[in-house]
Amino acid sequence: MLDIILAEILVAAIITFFVGRKLAAIIAMAVSILPLIALLDWASLYGFNIIHLGIEKSISIPIAGVSLNLAITPLGWFFALMIIPLFPAIMLFSYSFYKKNDGFYPFMLLALLSSIGIIMAKDMLTFFLFWEMMSWSSFLLVYRSRDKEAVMSYFIFSSLSAFLIFLGILIIYQQNASLLLSSINIESNAYGVVAIISLIAGFAIKSVLMPLHAWAPYVYSKSDEPFVAFLAGGLSKLGYYGMFLILFILAGAKVLETYFTNLSPNYILAVFGALSAFIATLIAFMQDDMRKLLAYSSIGQLGYIAIGFGIGTPLAVSGALFQAFNHAFFKAVLFLAAGAVAYRTGKWKISELGGVGYRMPFTFMATLFAIFTLAAIPITSGFAAKWLLYESAIDAKYIFVAPIMLIAGVGAFLYSFRILYGVFLGENRYPNIKEAPKSMVAAMFILVMPLLIFLIFPGYMLDMMHDALISGNIATLNHNAFVIETSLASYNTIAVIVALMIALIPAILIYKTRKHRVVDFMDNYLAGELPELYDNKISMHAASRFYKPIEEIIGPYFEPGTMSYYMAIYRGLKAISDAVRKIYTGKAGDYAIYVTLFLLIIMGWFIWM
Amino acid sequence: MDVSAIMIKSAVVIAYAFIGTFIGLLFLGVGRKIVARVHNRVGPPFYQGFIDVAKLLSKKTNISHGWIFDLALLFSISGILLAFAFLPVGGIKLLSTDGDAFLVLYLLAIPALGFALGAGASGNPNAGIGVMRALVMMLSYELPFVITMIALMIYYDTTSIARIVELQSVNGISSWAIFIPPFMLAAAVADMALQGMLMEQPFDIPVAPHEIASGPMVEFGGKYLGTLMLYKAISIVVETTLFVDFFLGGGVIMHGGIVANIANFIVWFVLIFIVFTLSLLINTAFPRFRIEQAFTFYWKYEAILATVALIWVYWMVI
Repeated sequence: MLDIILAEILVAAIITFFVGRKLAAIIAMAVSILPLIALLDWASLYGFNIIHLGIEKSISIPIAGVSLNLAITPLGWFFALMIIPLFPAIMLFSYSFYKKNDGFYPFMLLALLSSIGIIMAKDMLTFFLFWEMMSWSSFLLVYRSRDKEAVMSYFIFSSLSAFLIFLGILIIYQQNASLLLSSINIESNAYGVVAIISLIAGFAIKSVLMPLHAWAPYVYSKSDEPFVAFLAGGLSKLGYYGMFLILFILAGAKVLETYFTNLSPNYILAVFGALSAFIATLIAFMQDDMRKLLAYSSIGQLGYIAIGFGIGTPLAVSGALFQAFNHAFFKAVLFLAAGAVAYRTGKWKISELGGVGYRMPFTFMATLFAIFTLAAIPITSGFAAKWLLYESAIDAKYIFVAPIMLIAGVGAFLYSFRILYGVFLGENRYPNIKEAPKSMVAAMFILVMPLLIFLIFPGYMLDMMHDALISGNIATLNHNAFVIETSLASYNTIAVIVALMIALIPAILIYKTRKHRVVDFMDNYLAGELPELYDNKISMHAASRFYKPIEEIIGPYFEPGTMSYYMAIYRGLKAISDAVRKIYTGKAGDYAIYVTLFLLIIMGWFIWM
Repeated sequence: MDVSAIMIKSAVVIAYAFIGTFIGLLFLGVGRKIVARVHNRVGPPFYQGFIDVAKLLSKKTNISHGWIFDLALLFSISGILLAFAFLPVGGIKLLSTDGDAFLVLYLLAIPALGFALGAGASGNPNAGIGVMRALVMMLSYELPFVITMIALMIYYDTTSIARIVELQSVNGISSWAIFIPPFMLAAAVADMALQGMLMEQPFDIPVAPHEIASGPMVEFGGKYLGTLMLYKAISIVVETTLFVDFFLGGGVIMHGGIVANIANFIVWFVLIFIVFTLSLLINTAFPRFRIEQAFTFYWKYEAILATVALIWVYWMVI
């Protein structure tokens, strides 16, 4: 069955290359249902009896002399939960998003296939092969944007990532003479440490941890939204899957701790995560391009996962995995909503948008809920995840990380409102647009569903990650479906929900008893005067450089940008290469002189001897 | 927990919600009286808050701008009541054992968000600018505030406000946090953050009646404005109580018995009144800052002082 799943995705990838756009979308959607069923079937392994078909857990596919060993593990299953369900929804969205079939579906299917391969890999070779396949298929999807900066930066950073991961795998193979994950034992010496660090750096590139994030703003803002939703929501989690694998399942965290006795290397990962969350948040609300804003927001939100892995306590890792799950869905919804808005208006810049929400209420609702989860408004699952992370930072007494994380959480309100107000509310600039097509709206609401489930039952999420945590030698938290208890405090969703019900009573009383009439904007603050009379010269929408006062203070600190440091490295390398090129001129005569000189030196040496 | 216990708990929480609303409206009137006295005016009567809200809530003409605009009405009052329910008030824990300081911090964002959505849906540019200023203010004052909060959490090794209050009332007044040296500094920082939270001068930038026509509130009228006034009234009580719970032991001076409860309640009331009066006196003494001045003030001077307090506490604990 498992080999059938992989084979059908591969076959579908080939078929979709040749068929029309609608059929391709339907095939891609249909094909991704089977992995979903398998996902539910495997759930019975971890205590959730949803369906029972008995799909096998492990498989070995011999290809060209090597065999690809695949098996479903608790950790792989948990990460599959946040990658595979995204796919059918995104295909549903693209059903009406694309005007023609030009290579989107085949590569998306390959990306899905390779991500399933990565999370099920039983040995490092299979892992790396699928990792490369994922990098290449996503690179070809980025290439569709035909944007030089996006394509080049994605190519260079992907290559760097592959190089670092390959280096790590080679060192591990050298130490163990085996690539099976179950028999790998990383030694606590300089080589082992280099292997761990290079693997983590390689994964950090994919999961956009600062300062290795430099490709993300270009790629996220130039590629197609359905792909970016899958990239930001699903594929970025693969980096964190790898990090979990190295740090906890292969006990890399312990190796680092024993090697650096006086220094805590995990603390450094947490600090990188915190800085990533903080700086990306500050940059995010200064963006004018909706997609760039979401890209920086993604970098910030993914930083929290690194904080959790860095702190490494049961609280922190549970919070990090919870945040990863939430991020997959809310970020996918946000990118799809951006796509839907652009589909109707053709605009990306927030300063050119405004008032879209009045005409696209369902898109607005989905966005609003995703933003509630992003901004961790209580009782959303986003709050439960952030709460666990905050608790863990206080528990571990990380006095540098904790305030930075908290203030990044507040900063999230700022860029959230930038989207809500700048794009969906404010002046009604697009009075004639229609709601997004039904399939797009349906896709967004399907993706909101998982967030709604874990809004009421955050404990279920902790149940689902239970086995994954055990496999990484991490204790699990004391909880039931509604209440999470830590040594510092407890969080009871049912108390919050009941209290909210009661607190809503006065509001609803006032709401129901008010006699009101709904009035157009022109009728109120403009007192009937129309901006058209002044050739639309009066701006009624405060959207251009919204946070100007604060931008002027903090903007200069981010002025050079990370890319400029990479450019400095590039210039350095170029200078060295130029110097080398002075020797390798490419002229036969010069090489003849070099050879003669070399022979002369050797002869001279012999004579002197 | 059985049903009767839940019923009793709900009844207590509802009773406290009413008391909180009453005190908040009283404070609105008394506050105006105090400011008037400083200005050497007579000022309105102390019950002016009640009159205003009753008048606004009984208005017959209510202008709305659609369902997003109505979210302001629904979110603002329910969110602030929810935040109040999760605070220990005068030694009564209410629901504060089911949540913690982070929950309260984020619950305080619900009314702000609803308010911001409503203001955004009104389509008035002044409202947009007002919300921008409110959010920037939030980012500004939250940094020193969360640093002092983390200092408290690390010192008492808990994040639960109920537990912080409990630990501060072990030896009566002498064990209040404000009498521990680093927290004297932290309390001074948090008090200035509170000034921003309460939107009193010099930090009344988001509303700024003379510049942006009351900012976010510009399009609200009738019952909508009445609800927002109720929200403002309760938020005064919530924010001052947060300060009192953190630094002044929640006003708890005695333990056990009904007498202790009444005494604690009175002490809590007096303390929040003092904290509120202090902010009013600062309010009368200062003109308004510009938004960038406020940001610099909080992120430079306040944040440095708060960090000193945090490191001091860390050094004491380790």
